[in-house]
Amino acid sequence: MIRPDPGGGNRGIRNRSWRQRESDPGTAPVFSLRGAGVRFGATWALEGVDLEVGAGERVALVGPSGAGKTTLLSLLNGSRRPTAGRVAVLGRDLATVRPSELRHLQRRVGTVHQQHHLVGPLRVVHNVNAGRLGEWSLLEAVRSLISPTDVAAAEAALARVGIAEKLYERTDTLSGGQQQRVALARVLVQRPVAILGDEPISSLDPARAEEVMQLLAGLAGDAGRALVVSLHAVEHALRHCNRLVGLRQGRLVFDAAAAEVTPVMVEELYRIDQSTDEHGEGAA
Amino acid sequence: MNATDSLDVFEACTTPLRPRTTRAGTSATRPSGRPLRRLPGARMLLVLAALLVVTGACASTDGATHGERASGGDDQVFTIGAIPDQDPERLQRLYGIVADHLGEELGVAVEYEPVTDYAASVSLFRTGDLDMVWFGGLTGVQARLQVDGAEAILQRGIDERFHSIFIANTAAGLQPVDDVAGLSQLAGKRFTFGSESSTSGRLMPQFFLEQAGVSPETDFAGAAGFSGSHDKTIELVAAGTFEAGVVNEQVWTSRTEAGEVDLDKVTAIFRTPPYHDYHWVIRPDVVERFGDDFVTRVKAAFTELDPRDPNDAEILELFGAEEFIETDNDNYAEIEQVARDLGLIAQ
Amino acid sequence: MLAFAGSLVHAGLGSQGTLNPAGWPQLRRFLAAAAHPATSPEFIRLTLDATLTTLAYAVLGTAVAVGIGVVGGVAISESWWRRPPSGRPRRTGRAGEVGPWLASRLVVSLPRGVHEAVWGLALVTILGLDPLVGVLAIGVPYGAVTAKVYAELLDETPTGAFEALRTAGVGRLRALTYTLAPLAFPDMLSYAFYRFECAIRGAAILGIIGAGGLGFQLALSFQSLRYDEMWTLIYALMAVCGLADWWSTALRRRSALPPRTIAGLGDVGDSEQRLTGATRSALGRDRRLHASAAVVVALVVVSLWHLGVDVSTLWAPRAQRLASEMAASSFPPDLGVEELARLVVLSLQTLEMSVIAAVVASLAGTAMAFVIAGGVEAEQRAGVLQRVGAGAARGLLLVCRAVPPPVGALLLLFVLLPGPLPGALALAVYNAGILGRLMAEVVENLDPAPARALRSQGASAPQAFCYAILPRTLPRFAAFGLYRWEVAIRETVVVGLVGAGGLGRLLAQQLAAFDYRGATATLAALVVLTVAVDMVSSSVRRALR
Repeated sequence: MIRPDPGGGNRGIRNRSWRQRESDPGTAPVFSLRGAGVRFGATWALEGVDLEVGAGERVALVGPSGAGKTTLLSLLNGSRRPTAGRVAVLGRDLATVRPSELRHLQRRVGTVHQQHHLVGPLRVVHNVNAGRLGEWSLLEAVRSLISPTDVAAAEAALARVGIAEKLYERTDTLSGGQQQRVALARVLVQRPVAILGDEPISSLDPARAEEVMQLLAGLAGDAGRALVVSLHAVEHALRHCNRLVGLRQGRLVFDAAAAEVTPVMVEELYRIDQSTDEHGEGAA
Repeated sequence: MNATDSLDVFEACTTPLRPRTTRAGTSATRPSGRPLRRLPGARMLLVLAALLVVTGACASTDGATHGERASGGDDQVFTIGAIPDQDPERLQRLYGIVADHLGEELGVAVEYEPVTDYAASVSLFRTGDLDMVWFGGLTGVQARLQVDGAEAILQRGIDERFHSIFIANTAAGLQPVDDVAGLSQLAGKRFTFGSESSTSGRLMPQFFLEQAGVSPETDFAGAAGFSGSHDKTIELVAAGTFEAGVVNEQVWTSRTEAGEVDLDKVTAIFRTPPYHDYHWVIRPDVVERFGDDFVTRVKAAFTELDPRDPNDAEILELFGAEEFIETDNDNYAEIEQVARDLGLIAQ
Repeated sequence: MLAFAGSLVHAGLGSQGTLNPAGWPQLRRFLAAAAHPATSPEFIRLTLDATLTTLAYAVLGTAVAVGIGVVGGVAISESWWRRPPSGRPRRTGRAGEVGPWLASRLVVSLPRGVHEAVWGLALVTILGLDPLVGVLAIGVPYGAVTAKVYAELLDETPTGAFEALRTAGVGRLRALTYTLAPLAFPDMLSYAFYRFECAIRGAAILGIIGAGGLGFQLALSFQSLRYDEMWTLIYALMAVCGLADWWSTALRRRSALPPRTIAGLGDVGDSEQRLTGATRSALGRDRRLHASAAVVVALVVVSLWHLGVDVSTLWAPRAQRLASEMAASSFPPDLGVEELARLVVLSLQTLEMSVIAAVVASLAGTAMAFVIAGGVEAEQRAGVLQRVGAGAARGLLLVCRAVPPPVGALLLLFVLLPGPLPGALALAVYNAGILGRLMAEVVENLDPAPARALRSQGASAPQAFCYAILPRTLPRFAAFGLYRWEVAIRETVVVGLVGAGGLGRLLAQQLAAFDYRGATATLAALVVLTVAVDMVSSSVRRALR
């Protein structure tokens, strides 16, 4: 099951199959970063980040544009590999697992994006069911496209986010807020151990943003899931998360419980100076 | 330039056929087609280089200088053509020699203009781009119907009694027969004609097939093919692509005598009754342009070809003729009737 | 879709063709010759000359088409005929406005209904041996379709500025020049280049029917069964086609033109893809654009020189005499009961051929497009195998669209019995080459984020493809396929000329027999069929959007 490892390190962990890990999620943090860094060309978008997130935690990533929030999230869901350091999910180092196990770990992590990244021409039910792809075989996936399978689960997830009636609508006919809810429902049917949010509310008006944040916090609370969400608005972070991680120019500035974050820390985090880096963080 | 061309572009030949291998390396002689102007490579490069300085204004003057005979307007040149019944490179060589000979005999400028298909040769004869054309039986009739006063003037000795040969792949189980009725065995076989507008590769064979009760529309396996030329017919039947086909007797004889046909694979099964075929047809307006006796002089230039003169002998040999003789429009009445019956002539 | 599938089944049953394995060795010899094309110096020189001829027809044909397109496009645009706004809602003109607009639309659909090869055959009977035949045969039908597309582009352009000027009493032409024209220019330019790509292929087909150039030489070599020479010419065609495709794509990308541009497809992209004012003005400064303009001017000059075009032929008395003779012998068309019945039967056959061609081409093109897109997939994920596969697929598509369909049909006749099927398949192969490239462009321009999002949550590559790529491309592809269906119906004539079935075959017989009245009737049937397919196709495409 596991590729021979010439280095021989970490044998103790790697010899345990992921099935064992799955049944025993409590022993390892959900996410664990050690000295993680990502370099784009000559500049480091993220550098020397150490971070652990445990089950049940609600972590907000805050910081100015270009601080590396999106890059950090892409490390957590395995869509990007670190240039330096280690990233582990459920105790497994993503750099050394085999592809099938990587996929298995990825399906335990659901991500909600600012731009939803839904497939417009598909009906809502398919976009929700797309959350199941990690557990479905290709054949099941194709069959579901022709005639949706497990509609009940999709409908329940949509009901949970409040738009059950949209099940068979074309996704690109929905409003922005509704599409974000579809994206949430998709994450729900994934039954993840962690939910990541990449600026999930920045394109919504204040009222809808508040609703979506409540939903996210509630969904995370439902089953002791971890939540890591990047946010522009610190007030949302303080209201809905119990831990804030401040990022600035690719470096971790603070990592504190919500109650301990002071206005000075926030002000310092967003301070504008001449050297504010200009490279993006991979954009949305 | 007409419809049927790609398939029919050429039906081979009534001319004596040099071994096919002589075609290798003759591409330099092949017609470059319209446009008439041919640019040697070096000149082409020069053009590209000159581009930097050439302005739009030059274009029109260039167009004018090169617009020679763009629409057949040059009255001083006697233009001859031929149905593309054989390899275009061979036609180019043959008619280049004929044009030179006629130029000497008639004392006017003579040019050979290549065309790509049978119907185009008729169209260009009608438009006046071609003054005199070597037509097959059917195309000659079509051309005269479209140009009032056009006249069939010359044919070869063999054209009075021309034949087609039905051939078959030896594996097809077809037997040699002596009469037209025997062609009925072709029903249900894969069969190909030569060119669609060919007299010897299509018109007369179809006439005899129908006499035998075989309709090309319905009775073969699949529709009847049109290979495009006699050479291709032989090749495709030998290869087994088609089980049977029909070719002009002269081509068949020439090819078999030259040892180019594998007689273990393809064999003759029937020789048709005789009919009139190839002939020169001339436009009536040449008289106004070149003089009252022009047609007579053209006839003489061919009928007086002497097999003992090496130059004359070459022309006769290229045409596969022992001699040229005069003909007239009435000789093709039978062809016209058959063509009307088969729907190959409208009106 | 259902109708589509239905007609395919019907067409499949209706066609007579069957396999003829005995001809396989011939085809194999042809394919084997690909490895050793003829390379003698004379033949290379001949090929270069022929290439220049084909290019010259394409360049001049496109120039004429764009000229017609600009004038005609303005004349048939709704914007042109609409009166200055007077408080009434837009687009609800009175008969006085709709009438001329509708009439002008009809005028363009006629030349469009007939393939350029047929134009060539008709023009040669009037103009005789003249390079104008090839130029006009491309220019006239392409001009008509260009006019239609330009009119649509103008009508889709926001009309606020135009109407503001009109209300201020500015004349129609001046208002248009100052407002709509600059806005629509990038799209119009892009379409002109797309037409140029098509014109090269069209010029090759015209060559086969005798206009000279690569197609002509290809036909000659084929008649002698000289496969090595054929491949030299095919490679030359591939080079020219590939170069034109590359130029047109580069210019489109460079100018940030939306992919809708393949605008003739009527597949108009999202409105947000419309260019912003900033990119439009940037376009004007684009150096590559200026270089392209210089090359275009140079090409036109060389083409005029090479072909020796003399426009006065058009007014020559001979042309007038022949035109009137032609008209007299073409009318009235033969439309007896018997002829009509035959036309109906053959129209159905033509329809079947076009459906087979369009469906097979769409499927094959889709498959190839995804192979290509797999090789250039963003991320570093594309493996060596995928890259090689993508390269091979690109090459294959180029061969497919470089071999003119009549030659393709003749090649297929080696292994298929004569009938409609070889023709339909030849068209399918040819159109797959064109569609595959257009489709690959669509896939490449697709936003990769949704697929990446699925991948990041554990979906496999094929799953992400099914959920994120297919649903977003298939409607576009279906639109392309439907558009190619319209084209295929016109193109059935070209393969009909070499003996494949349908109206094209009948037309070939009629032209060979100089039965112009019959041919007029056949052409009329063809135009009716084309217009009908056009209407069905565009209404389905609208529904797909």
